[in-house]
Amino acid sequence: MSGAEVIVQVIAHEGVEVMFGYSGGAILPVYDAVFRYNAEHARADGSEPIPLVVPANEQGAGFMAAGYARASGKVGVAIVTSGPGATNMVTPVRDSMADSIPLVVICGQVGTAAIGSDAFQEAPISNIMGACAKHVFLVTDATQLEATVRTAFTLARSGRPGPVVVDVPKDVQNAALSFRGAGELALNGYRARLRAVEQATLSDADCVALFAALMQAERPLIYAGGGVIAADAAQALRAFVDAFGLPVTTTLMGLGGFDSTDPLALHLLGMHGTAYANYAVEDCDFVLALGARFDDRVAGVPGKFAPRAKFIAQVDIDPAEIGKVKSVDWHHVGPLKRALERLTAYGRAHELRPQLGAWHAHVAELKRVHAMNYDRASALIQPYAVIEAINRHAQGRAIVSTGVGQHQMWAAQYFDFRAPRHWLTSGSMGTMGFGLPAAIGAQFAQRDKLVIDIDGDASIRMNIGELETVTTYGLPLKIVVLNNVGDGMVRQWQKLYFKGRFAASDKSLHKKDFVLAARADGFDWARRLERNDALESTIADFLAFDGPAFLEVMIDPDAGVYPMVGPGASYAQMITGDFIASRAMPVAPEATTTHMF
Amino acid sequence: MNHTLSILLQNEAGALVRVAGLFAARGYNIDTLTVAATHDPAVSRLTLSLQCDDDALGQILQQTRKLVDVLQVAHPANALAA
Repeated sequence: MSGAEVIVQVIAHEGVEVMFGYSGGAILPVYDAVFRYNAEHARADGSEPIPLVVPANEQGAGFMAAGYARASGKVGVAIVTSGPGATNMVTPVRDSMADSIPLVVICGQVGTAAIGSDAFQEAPISNIMGACAKHVFLVTDATQLEATVRTAFTLARSGRPGPVVVDVPKDVQNAALSFRGAGELALNGYRARLRAVEQATLSDADCVALFAALMQAERPLIYAGGGVIAADAAQALRAFVDAFGLPVTTTLMGLGGFDSTDPLALHLLGMHGTAYANYAVEDCDFVLALGARFDDRVAGVPGKFAPRAKFIAQVDIDPAEIGKVKSVDWHHVGPLKRALERLTAYGRAHELRPQLGAWHAHVAELKRVHAMNYDRASALIQPYAVIEAINRHAQGRAIVSTGVGQHQMWAAQYFDFRAPRHWLTSGSMGTMGFGLPAAIGAQFAQRDKLVIDIDGDASIRMNIGELETVTTYGLPLKIVVLNNVGDGMVRQWQKLYFKGRFAASDKSLHKKDFVLAARADGFDWARRLERNDALESTIADFLAFDGPAFLEVMIDPDAGVYPMVGPGASYAQMITGDFIASRAMPVAPEATTTHMF
Repeated sequence: MNHTLSILLQNEAGALVRVAGLFAARGYNIDTLTVAATHDPAVSRLTLSLQCDDDALGQILQQTRKLVDVLQVAHPANALAA
């Protein structure tokens, strides 16, 4: 068996259903092996067991693999060539690292004898990816190839998940090897640390300490992050909340980890969180952080985050996240699902039931008084109304992906999120261009689900070549472009902090005809919505179309994202805009320079 | 405050770069760095000194332990052994 065949065998053994990648000289042996594997193992209906989906750009392949991983919980796989193929993959790898998404990326590399010679399509991928992946292997010893590829899957999905890159020189792909079918690299240090974390359990003393603080608290709050989803802990969280009655606010990555339509759900917190979630954080006296890391979009000023909290507890799978940003009074490093199940069982066994009637009434009042709202009388199409209209059809059951910017925040704020793995967004890296390829990957993971890409005009343009990928593969994706003719979020910051000087944010996107672009790429349903009175009927028609559909909506170009906790500001200084009630008149934002971002 | 760390590292392609890169990416300046062989040819010992406060030290120890090639990180002076 050749090295290339060994790679494909391991991938097949790992249960991979689909791969994403773009060919090139240094990866041709693997591509050929994929072709032959699929031909030899064709299903009865003629379909391929491991189709290899081809994007317009390797970055698209990376985000498709990431979208697949986010929607399915399985490892996403991408295969690209050396040099530019691999460097185009850097952004999705870093994006997946920052959001803890499991990927295995196989990169071709020039032959071992040519490494370091500035060969054609050579790039130092082990150096470049080493700085942004969970791990990178450069396979120089062909006898280690099989164990290395298998280990890459283990690394990607274990502990805190992340992307693993395997750089395979062309001569290693061509080497004659015998397939063993089992065996991984030792990685004694990693495995010992992983074992310690995975086996960690909460002692009775740990439970006593946490519940002692919880039972004294009058206003306890759960701050749930992406770890709830990565750890498959949403049901355990639900049971914990049912048992003890703590309200839940979720981070951008945690949306779907707790049903946002629940009376105890406060939806999103942070820079563009709901006013009621942020006020609840201001008011709470106890915080339980679950798979969340106090990042700067949540705790922009760590010292002022949850200022009345007398006790902060944190559960995470990553020891480095404990106390990284904010010191905590109690912590546990271990699998979140098991920790929550243990706490629920302990609390129930000891009949611990916090009396939170007054706090629940307070939370309900916050949700009523400070509800999300916008200019409902405007003649211009309001982006919030578009999301609300789509949400009435989707009802939290569609998979929604986004680009990055205002449309991303509107989608986060105005959609209902009822279950994990229905919300795909570039949370930490904030990569424009994520939405379309991620939606493609998600549709391959969930072929029967409604998948909607809510995108912006500038974001979708970053990977607009993938429109053709949608029609090539006949995916019934629904793509919405909320067009405000430019970089809306950048303009919002320039209005607030740069006296309205729209440096570079209003220069382009005036000529683009997105509907023509979609038609050119084979979309039979491609329309532009420009009138409020056609909103409901257009969206109903769009979502009902049986096939790929593209809807551009010309929105109010001045629509802003509110609430907003400005950079360097506390939640108490949150601006809520003209249509959401603020608790106090906030101080006008300073137009002075800030080092926060 | 000056701290000296002792790191046992698997001899893999790019392993040293990943340790040095981690310190650079997280804003820690390495003052001195020595790499030595051990009795096991597959394992090297890095002795590394840097200036940082105690909070930063705790964080850099934890981040270093996340590197897959790292077998062990010790801070002999503090006995903050891995």
